Amino acid sequence: MAADKDIAYQNLKAGQEFPPAAFQVDSATVSDYLKAVEENSVIYRGTGIVPPMAVAALALKALINAISMPPGTIHVSQEFEFMATVNTQDILTGRARVSRVQERGKLHLITVDINVANQKQESVLAGKTGFILPVE
Amino acid sequence: MPTSFELKEGQSLPTVEKNIVQDNINLYAKASGDFNPIHVDADYARKTPLGGTVAHGMLILAYISQMMTDAFGHNWLSGGRLNVRFRAPARSGDVITISGSIRRVEKEDGYHMIDCDVLCHNQNDEPVITGDAKVKVKANENRG
Repeated sequence: MAADKDIAYQNLKAGQEFPPAAFQVDSATVSDYLKAVEENSVIYRGTGIVPPMAVAALALKALINAISMPPGTIHVSQEFEFMATVNTQDILTGRARVSRVQERGKLHLITVDINVANQKQESVLAGKTGFILPVE
Repeated sequence: MPTSFELKEGQSLPTVEKNIVQDNINLYAKASGDFNPIHVDADYARKTPLGGTVAHGMLILAYISQMMTDAFGHNWLSGGRLNVRFRAPARSGDVITISGSIRRVEKEDGYHMIDCDVLCHNQNDEPVITGDAKVKVKANENRG
């Protein structure tokens, strides 16, 4: 979860960790997100609560920005655990680690573990993302 | 507020139906920062094996999360778990139905552990996402 596109996917190894990335989900982003997903639950109305999938999406964005993915990359699987509610004031830190790299014929299967913690160092979200990438 | 329904095995969760439109895909790209051209650039996407733009997988997961929030409220936001596989892309013009049902209810230390099957399918009944979701609910909680 580092600067843009600085890690080529061919160089990813199991156990490799990305530098942590801090981010915040402000109320304007939450508003855009709720509009995009057509979510109108009262839970999010004026409460400052961030939808957990918005946190997940922004954590994944940092990961995707860090890896140079080739065209044809497919997001094939996803696991999430939401451990605590996130608010717009929270300062979050995302960490990602490659947990598995497999080569099957002309495809790479890469699994990345993601963890997001708040400013109190409490885990708020954990996840496991699976990608299939074509071998170039 | 969570939708009131019985926590019993076989019980259906409140269904969510969404029309996939390019405007929402573009809005989602802005909100999530994922501007992969396969989602937002029609000319680029037309030349790929997918033949056109597709919605972000995470956008469809947001719909599953919406269903789970409708069903379980704050319990989903703090204690929910989701495990899914993406089976097929969702395209602009598709109508995606998000459904789920309770597979198992286990009592554990004053809580109900609810294990649900979740499914997103398109207007042709093709599965787009399949998987399961788990949520922990206080046994005496008033959910309606």
